[in-house]
Amino acid sequence: MEFAFFPGCMIQVRHPQMEAAVRKTVGTLGIELVDLDGLGCCPDPVFFKSLHKENWLTLAARNLAIAEQAGLDFVTICSGCTETLAEAAHLLNPGGELLERVNAQLAGIGLEYRGTVDARHLITVMRDEVGYDGVRASVTQPLDGVRIAVHYGCHLLKPRDIMRVDDPDHPTIFEDMLRAIGAEPVDHDERVICCGKSCRDCDLPETMTRTILESIHAADVDAMGVICPSCFDSFDTGQLLIARKYDLGFAVPPVYYFQLLALAQGLKPAEVGLDKHKLAPKVLLEKMTVT
Amino acid sequence: MGDDPVKINHRFREQMGLVLEGDGVNYCYQCGACVGDCPSARFSDEFNPRLIMLTVLYGMEEAVVGPESPVWQCSNCFTCFDRCPQDVKPIEVIIALKNLMGERGVVPKGVDRMVDGLLNTGRSAVVTTATHRRRQELGLPPLPELDASQLQRLLVDDVPGKED
Repeated sequence: MEFAFFPGCMIQVRHPQMEAAVRKTVGTLGIELVDLDGLGCCPDPVFFKSLHKENWLTLAARNLAIAEQAGLDFVTICSGCTETLAEAAHLLNPGGELLERVNAQLAGIGLEYRGTVDARHLITVMRDEVGYDGVRASVTQPLDGVRIAVHYGCHLLKPRDIMRVDDPDHPTIFEDMLRAIGAEPVDHDERVICCGKSCRDCDLPETMTRTILESIHAADVDAMGVICPSCFDSFDTGQLLIARKYDLGFAVPPVYYFQLLALAQGLKPAEVGLDKHKLAPKVLLEKMTVT
Repeated sequence: MGDDPVKINHRFREQMGLVLEGDGVNYCYQCGACVGDCPSARFSDEFNPRLIMLTVLYGMEEAVVGPESPVWQCSNCFTCFDRCPQDVKPIEVIIALKNLMGERGVVPKGVDRMVDGLLNTGRSAVVTTATHRRRQELGLPPLPELDASQLQRLLVDDVPGKED
């Protein structure tokens, strides 16, 4: 299965370990990621969209047009990119007035978007095209006995009818993907609330992040699973700041799902940058004896 | 809102209607479904999406696009989008308000800097020498070249609904 790969700026630039984990694991699942020239920022679904939604839509359409020319659908690995590209694809339906307006802009750089590209997160593609059994079949080192609490984040799942992934109030896709690699998903009270990263001019980011961290700490786990680089920031550098300010007295190491998949496929922690995390998932690695 | 009779500022309502999906607010019947699971409303007394919709319906411009506007406390989680029985998409109405604030230059520090960076480089994250080194260590291909001028040529300057 071929897809146009959309790694996104946050991951390419700030968290290349996430890109490495994806590139090193998808081949065994029969997924081929094609790198296209000229892709820009998705663009960012929070601040760029907040300053100029029409420009946000046009820049997203430019990326969609590049995939359309290649005859491929996008696979994304960042929830923010997924949200932007899926929402733009949803708004720019063929025959619509909005698509016409966006194309008037795209014509200036010799592009046209016809409205045919879909954009889905890799975890969704894995569920729908590879299946949990297919993922399980790629595992050589199951994460036996590793307890992981999930943080879903917002943009993988919402808005529900645009993202078409799972029930945003009662999702199971992440836990099911953890079971497929042998880990034990552990429930906690705040698994579907927002990490707060996008709030500005207030204390909400640290309040929300701290609420989730306390909820996960109470669940007594080895690590927290994340799927979004923005959430990862909240629970990585964000957690360090919160721990100092509120004297938390505990640490919950965040790990990106595809790094866990990589370990389960027998890759070494350093191959997917797990040795460089500020909050190392020590217990998890000890349980797997891959340190 | 005081004891004076309420006067609706229709001009502001019309302006909102010109911003993409800013007109959804017209269907709001104030049920409050957007509030129950709103994480910002849960943790902040200043943020309530139902009240923001009501304030827009009255056209109380200063309260929603002035410097004290609470809209930047929105977490952008889209829960209200899914909960609203009227398809108001409160988050998109809030984004429309932010678009108008952007036009007037009333945005939190850092937001415009981030957007400028994106338009200058094509990326929303800052590339450093460490970026290239880490990518190399991980066996990743070099960052692709990106012509940001292509992106700049696509932009329109005005937010629809801008005051002349």
